[in-house]
Amino acid sequence: MKTRKSLPSGIVMLIVAACLIAVCAPLILWIRHAAAMDSASFMETCQTIVHRIAHPFPIDPDHMGAVLLTILMLLLLAIAVVLVIVAVINLLRGPRDEQSRHMGLRTANAISNTAIHILLVVISVIWLLPFIFIVLQSFRVESTYQVGYIIPEKWGFDNYVSIFSAGSNFPRWYLNTFIMALATAVLQTVIVLCMSYTLSRFRFKMRKPLMKFMLVLGMFPGILGMIILYRILSDLGLTQAHAVPGLILVYVASSGMGYYVSKGFFDTIPKSLDEAARVDGATRAQVLFKIILPLSKPIVIYTILTAFMAPWGDFVFAKYASMNNQLGMNVAVGMNTWLATPSMLFANYTKFCAGGVVVAIPVVILFMCLQRYYVEGVTGGAVKG
Amino acid sequence: MASVKLTNVKKIYDNKVVAVHDFNLDIKDKEFVVFVGPSGCGKSTTLRMVAGLEEISEGTVEIDGEVVNDLQPKDRNIAMVFQNYALYPHMTVYDNIAFSLRLQKLPEDVIYNKVTNAAEILGITDYLMRKPRALSGGQRQRVAIGRAMVRDSKVFLMDEPLSNLDAKLRNQMRAEIILLRQKLNTTFIYVTHDQTEAMTLGDRIVIMKDGYIMQVGTPTEVFEMPENLFVAEFIGAPKMNIMHTELSCENGKYYVHPFGARLPVEGDKGAKLNELRVPGKQIILGVRPEHIQLAKEAGPNTIPVKLEVNEMMGSELHLHVYTEDGTRLIVRVPTIDLDPEQRNSLVQGAALNITFGGKVMHFFDKETEHNILLP
Repeated sequence: MKTRKSLPSGIVMLIVAACLIAVCAPLILWIRHAAAMDSASFMETCQTIVHRIAHPFPIDPDHMGAVLLTILMLLLLAIAVVLVIVAVINLLRGPRDEQSRHMGLRTANAISNTAIHILLVVISVIWLLPFIFIVLQSFRVESTYQVGYIIPEKWGFDNYVSIFSAGSNFPRWYLNTFIMALATAVLQTVIVLCMSYTLSRFRFKMRKPLMKFMLVLGMFPGILGMIILYRILSDLGLTQAHAVPGLILVYVASSGMGYYVSKGFFDTIPKSLDEAARVDGATRAQVLFKIILPLSKPIVIYTILTAFMAPWGDFVFAKYASMNNQLGMNVAVGMNTWLATPSMLFANYTKFCAGGVVVAIPVVILFMCLQRYYVEGVTGGAVKG
Repeated sequence: MASVKLTNVKKIYDNKVVAVHDFNLDIKDKEFVVFVGPSGCGKSTTLRMVAGLEEISEGTVEIDGEVVNDLQPKDRNIAMVFQNYALYPHMTVYDNIAFSLRLQKLPEDVIYNKVTNAAEILGITDYLMRKPRALSGGQRQRVAIGRAMVRDSKVFLMDEPLSNLDAKLRNQMRAEIILLRQKLNTTFIYVTHDQTEAMTLGDRIVIMKDGYIMQVGTPTEVFEMPENLFVAEFIGAPKMNIMHTELSCENGKYYVHPFGARLPVEGDKGAKLNELRVPGKQIILGVRPEHIQLAKEAGPNTIPVKLEVNEMMGSELHLHVYTEDGTRLIVRVPTIDLDPEQRNSLVQGAALNITFGGKVMHFFDKETEHNILLP
């Protein structure tokens, strides 16, 4: 009983300590920042904190940071206060009869739940801010350069129209990336699942050494092989304008080594299901496609998503393989050329934001479509537990 | 419907562990054979070799005269029920049962007829649209049996199908398997560790230990004429009482001397001993608990014992007794044979006298543990 009582308050105290540290750090930064300002501008900053977030109002980027830090600090402070109250309630709660202790627990639970939710909301706000920022900037039409406010003065689709207009290479890059991501997603998923099934279900000579070998091989960064890979691709004529098939080859080539997660999942599916299916007349392939894969939906979805995302966001190797040839670039590399010099940054900043939004669309759709298959607990009732 | 023949079948695992030694067995068409033995005796391994789920290290397995060593399970035309049911959790009961038929690409109406027919026999018609997770253990087991039933296979294999069920359900399902067997009329191989199941279900029982066959025979044979001490102890519940004693021969009549008593060997057994001219020697004597009686009073052919535990089983009492030298014996007394006064006197520490007849003794060699009457 003693441990049950002391444990929650211990955790609460820990969270409070963490929050206080989190609050103190920006506070110190803020004080240092405020000390550097003269008193008039400091007063102005304080008076217009809330006003400035909601209204388009040019402030210099330094002040913008101070405002955001203040909001963050206040929120964390609020959480810390709530948690302190919870901790005090926990500590003050003495021995009582069953009924009232039950009530006390319920109150404490409600308070800590609220505190945790507030914390999560804050984290998600911090997490979402850049995305909201980019979306809003992409609709800004009054200027094309970086500004110190979030909400546009004039809204419009000019940026979107310009990236898809004639003469823009963006559709080409987009198509390149899409082809690469789709091909990689399909091929890599097939290879990874076959590999995982093989390693999970078959026992063959050198199985363990092979797994160890791949584990060690996986410890080397893939970028180490970049130069030699480029040579091979260029000998095959798969660089620059023809970089797309070459890049697909590179992305898919090592996919067999990503078997860990799905093999671990397959290992949890009882082997007697395979055996029952084989006795029922299924071939190994039918066992995989009719029994194992329907039971492994979450892991198949995970494999597809990761296989799609890697080429979608790749920059380093894609830049290297395309070698400044606009026809062989993917979106990340291509859009990067928009911001190559300060003057281009001045001209293309909002266009870049619009491109970013367009790039995010397929991934968002993919997540939304696949997420609903992501249900767990499908193996219930297979075998006697 | 087919015969199964195992010739010199051996299973050696990669780590050089020999699971099955030289297994020879001829299973006739439509026979119900039970493999029974303690865990780790190789019975499941043997069954899985017949199914094709384990590779056969040496020897051959024939189904209907065809060597199937290198055939995949799907090509052996067998059906199997697993201990843990192994139902496909993402399919409904109907789809589970229809799975093998769909793989055979049968038309849907044929599948429908077969599945509903099997469901009716097993009494699971109401659950056909449920997922396995929504079924109880007994229902799941029925589905597993149904899945095997619809295949019309040559051999029906069952790997401890009842061991996950509770005692009551197990008895019920055992009776249903007997009925099912009559309906299917095919060759069965059934693996169990439960000697009751083996005795009640099997036409023939194969008793195994450490990868060796100890005895093959009908339930009556293995019960009445166990080939060795292991079979004698394994078959029958409670297990056979074992006494180290002397067998002596006087003028062609044989006697045993357990714990100072002198009991004559009578009937067939005495005649058999005579015929084999067995010399007087130290032996292991086995007597089943139900063949020991309580004697009214001490005499030259009774053994004095003390009562340790009295288990009331309802229709009978299991008396756990120990002799002067500490040997523990079990005596099984029908409740109806005891008058109330006698029953009340059976308390811990009570002194009793036991005896047994000369027709029910089993004699085993002290070294080989082989039945002396079966040379």
